[in-house]
Amino acid sequence: MPRYAMAIDLAACVGCAACAVACKLENEVPAGVDRLWIRLEERGTFPDLAMQYRPEQCLHCAEPPCVPVCPTGASHVTADGLVLVDAETCIACGACIAACPYDARYFDPRGFVGKCTFCEHRIVQGQLPACVETCPTLCRTFGDLDDPESDVSRAIRAARRVDVLKPEQGTRPKLVYLNTPARFGLAAEGALP
Amino acid sequence: MDRRAFLKLSAASVGAVMLAPEAAAVKLPNPLARAPASWFDGEVSSVLTFCENCFWKCGVRASVADGRVWKVDGYAANPKSRGRLCPRGQGAVAQTYDPDRLKRPLIRVEGTQRGDGKYREASWDEALGVIASGMLAIKERYGSESMAFFAHGSGDTWFGEYLPAAWATPNVGKPSVSLCTGPRETASQWTFGRGIGGHEPIDWENTDYIVLIGHHIGEDTHNTQLQDFSLALKRGAELVVVDPRFSVAASKAGRWLPIKPGTDTALLLAWLHVLVTEELYDKAYVERYTVGFEQLAAHVQPFTPEWAADITDLDADAIRTVARELAAHAPRAVVPPGRHTVWYGNDTQRMRALYLVNALLGNYGVEGGFYLAQAPYLEPYPHPAFPLEPAAGGCSGASGGETLDTGFRARVDDGRFFAHTTAVQELIPAMISGEPYRIAGLIAYGVNLFHSIPDVARTQEALRKLDLYVAIDVLPMDHVMWADVILPEATYLERYDDLVAIAHKTPFIELRQPAVDPMWDTKPGWWIARELGLRLGLDAYFDWPDIEAYLDKRLRTIGSSLEQAKAKGTLVQRGRPYLADWEARNLNPFGTPSGRIELYSQTFADAGFDPLPTYEPPNDGPPGSYRLLYGRSPVHTFAKTQNNWVLMEMHGQNAVWIHTAEAEALGVASGDYVWLENQDGVRDGPVAVYATERLRRDCVYLVHGFGHRAKGMRVADGRGASDTALMSRYRLDPISGGAGMRVNFVKLVPGAPRPRLPSLRKLAERSV
Amino acid sequence: MTGAAASITTFYGAPNSAAFWHWPTLLHFVLVAVAGGVALLVAYRALSGARFTWRLPALALALIVLDLGVLWGESLARWRLTHVYLFLSFQPASAIWWGAWGLAGSAALTALLALGWGPRRGWGALLLVTSSLALLYPGLVLAANAARPLWTPLLLVFMPVTGLLIAWGLALLLGQRDLGVAVGALALAGAALGGLYLAGLAAGPGGARAALEHLWHEAGVWFALALAAMLVSPALLRRYPAVAALLAVAGAVLARSLLVEIGQVMGPPF
Repeated sequence: MPRYAMAIDLAACVGCAACAVACKLENEVPAGVDRLWIRLEERGTFPDLAMQYRPEQCLHCAEPPCVPVCPTGASHVTADGLVLVDAETCIACGACIAACPYDARYFDPRGFVGKCTFCEHRIVQGQLPACVETCPTLCRTFGDLDDPESDVSRAIRAARRVDVLKPEQGTRPKLVYLNTPARFGLAAEGALP
Repeated sequence: MDRRAFLKLSAASVGAVMLAPEAAAVKLPNPLARAPASWFDGEVSSVLTFCENCFWKCGVRASVADGRVWKVDGYAANPKSRGRLCPRGQGAVAQTYDPDRLKRPLIRVEGTQRGDGKYREASWDEALGVIASGMLAIKERYGSESMAFFAHGSGDTWFGEYLPAAWATPNVGKPSVSLCTGPRETASQWTFGRGIGGHEPIDWENTDYIVLIGHHIGEDTHNTQLQDFSLALKRGAELVVVDPRFSVAASKAGRWLPIKPGTDTALLLAWLHVLVTEELYDKAYVERYTVGFEQLAAHVQPFTPEWAADITDLDADAIRTVARELAAHAPRAVVPPGRHTVWYGNDTQRMRALYLVNALLGNYGVEGGFYLAQAPYLEPYPHPAFPLEPAAGGCSGASGGETLDTGFRARVDDGRFFAHTTAVQELIPAMISGEPYRIAGLIAYGVNLFHSIPDVARTQEALRKLDLYVAIDVLPMDHVMWADVILPEATYLERYDDLVAIAHKTPFIELRQPAVDPMWDTKPGWWIARELGLRLGLDAYFDWPDIEAYLDKRLRTIGSSLEQAKAKGTLVQRGRPYLADWEARNLNPFGTPSGRIELYSQTFADAGFDPLPTYEPPNDGPPGSYRLLYGRSPVHTFAKTQNNWVLMEMHGQNAVWIHTAEAEALGVASGDYVWLENQDGVRDGPVAVYATERLRRDCVYLVHGFGHRAKGMRVADGRGASDTALMSRYRLDPISGGAGMRVNFVKLVPGAPRPRLPSLRKLAERSV
Repeated sequence: MTGAAASITTFYGAPNSAAFWHWPTLLHFVLVAVAGGVALLVAYRALSGARFTWRLPALALALIVLDLGVLWGESLARWRLTHVYLFLSFQPASAIWWGAWGLAGSAALTALLALGWGPRRGWGALLLVTSSLALLYPGLVLAANAARPLWTPLLLVFMPVTGLLIAWGLALLLGQRDLGVAVGALALAGAALGGLYLAGLAAGPGGARAALEHLWHEAGVWFALALAAMLVSPALLRRYPAVAALLAVAGAVLARSLLVEIGQVMGPPF
């Protein structure tokens, strides 16, 4: 079984939000809630400045805190390692929203919890997630972590540095950030998937 | 106890498996809880067309299910998109289903004034009849030249070229020239004898050293350019960014030069000085391909880095270093021209200086520099000869110096500047003064008159004086609601347009074809132009029964057909990108009078302009004011996209950027609302403050395109401030006719109210 | 540093970072305590063999129904009938799953006790378990969220103690005089645990201290008042039992609600 993962090269990302718009339309995400967003951080004083745009979404953690807290099993991990919500059995209690360290989940107004699916419907057909396919900076790579020749494995190998968000949470995310600009970064030995 | 350990323990203690994939619950048949159906569940068809949420013209694949377009993606075989799309392209579909769209023709209620915004619905026949009789009356009274056409967008082939040519008026303008690229085109024409064109011919894939001057790649999301830029950086190309603001591109740069606004020419002259005096230029290239080096060498002697450092507020060593590094990487080093180049009124000379730097690096027509873009082979439709060919230009308009005798009166801005293309803003005075003759009618197609042309008050005065003002648009934009007759156009996903021929490394032709039928009673531009033409007695030019016949005839001239184009979307030809490709065929790419790159322009000297670029200091503003700089948002195109709820969710209002120390001195903080008031007392806003370290203290910055005052655009209305509204002045570039817009200054007036606006969520839920 | 400012000009900021639980959830966290605490009292009375009428179990049942009604009324999924899966799944790692069984079991048992059907002591023993689950699960729901620094493991104790305090304080007000000592003890325990909670945050790592500052900034005075109310209430028990009970209940309700509301804040993002 593949172990799907994504890597985002922050040296390349310009925060244009093409990924966020693509996600919105691909997945018909209702107005007012989002599966994918971009965080901007600025550091320094003029003219000694640094800046980072960081797209964020569900990290499809290998140890997802959002799954065990679910009282109905709606929040689950697939055999491919995708962390998904089954709308049919979700009671919208919000336990998973509370448990996610990354604010990746939201209440869909239609009565269940929504989140990034890595575009499962696309990857089962051999396509890339919508955000990866459209990115005009080519900063996103996706693929099977167990396949050393997959795009994502190659990108992680070639990166100058690899970061994960909140490594101290022990979630072992399968979305990692590459080449975080100097002055930023989280660096996490052993936290990688 | 560590909480994670606790969690695991709590799970383990009851002997449970933490992750129970997909098997947790016995599923009951429950129609109430079914996951919402998705558009891709059923049959999805693809339609190949090209995008119009900006004017880069990316080839796209529109996904259609149940008669609706759900998603638009890049089309892999198209050289502009290469299978990828920017946020605007991704979000364009929301415009088609925008409930605020113009839905049927409107005629201004009798007895109301332009600007009152009172309209009644009309049939197409009545609306077109009113326009035709108005135009014919103008022709009879003042002559056909007294009708003006302003056009922008794919349909501008109909309203900026075909119809006005058949009708016979030279007074046709596009904002994309004198309000945008004019100076770089004119300068390129008279330096290299070739334009730049709509797709900047930078050989990104081979360059090792890039210097961007006020060029906001990243915030400007022209798709292919952004892809190429990103790939170049990934490949390890070095980047220098010259900008008063720490732009996104600057954040990717190894070196940021926070230049004093308006002094770029001094910096470029200093680089020329270093290249010449330190003999770092490509001697063989200069010898072989250029004229005027001796004059240039003598001219740049005084322009030392120290001289430029004083003017530009940069470090002299940094200036010198960049010049040396450029030379060290030449010819795989490039200073791209940027796009919007109408800044301070001396812009053609600044662009000349920029091109001369490139020429001395020997990079023009060479790998890693500028490639030689070529238009694809395509014949025009075989219509009878038009009475005249207007010179509206485009991004890549012709830039001749002479006036052509057409047998008609010359354009009203003729002789006011050197370039042959129309300076669209210079047609407006003739609407007011009647000099040299009266412009009595205007058709505005896709141009936002109030968000693109400086001095909005003058534009409004001109509109009041017209005999006939027609607006063709998709949305009830600010200026549209002034027109006598409003014609609702179908969006790009609902229509055919004329073929587009893209000058490129690999020249290609793109087809625009409809993915779905037009919503409501809207019509494609070609249909509107044709129906109007027939009512104006121009039947001879509109002998084609419909657009399919027209397109098929044109495509057959290159051995293709409409059927083939519909299936392929993009027809790619071969190009000649490098000098070597031309020389192998004994061709000369340089269309200058001398047939070489003209470092010294005899033509300019003869016309009374500086034959070599010189620096002119920018104007100063009143005390306590800041120079108004402006730029782009990656998710918006000019003032066209602010009613698109998806894009507005990403970026829903602009803010005035000001240096934190200045904000502190003024007693305003990020998130406070202020008014902006310019040197002439013109006020706009309220707009939020963004206090940041990311720009110099002598300027403020606004993203262009916000601040709509258009009640019918319920998403856009009242969000942010309009930079154009604050541009009550501009400085005309006497060579290109460009309107230099960075000559305005604003003050921040604290205490503005936070605007009360409906939530985007509510507005989005109206989507049809 | 620039988060708030950046959100103006950038895209999205952090769209899902706002509070996800609002006043109905806060109300539930109070009601479930009252319902669970009264059910526990019923179990105690049933087991102790004291005088037993249908009134108290009926009240407990009514409170459970009220609590579940509030939960259902505010649930986005109220018309989707998915709550049935709480009982068709086996999710022992989920606090809410246990809570659901606790409340459902308590409802059934209090109903049987009110009707007088079946073995009172047997039902009482079972009710002891189910009502304890109802009392314990809110703390478990909060403490499971390792990324939210205000929801510490101490809430595993603080929530049931204050929960019981609210329930028994109200019972005291309604005339269950013999609960006076217990209420006093619970109030003292609540105040002490509250103090311990603050001390734990203050002595914790940077994230915990930042969270404490956030709590202080948002509602420090109110939280202190809530703890003070619990602290002083035992002193008033003998002379003014009603006032003391009211103070203790108010303090407990306030402290819990503040922790649920403000505790939704996420730890440092970078």
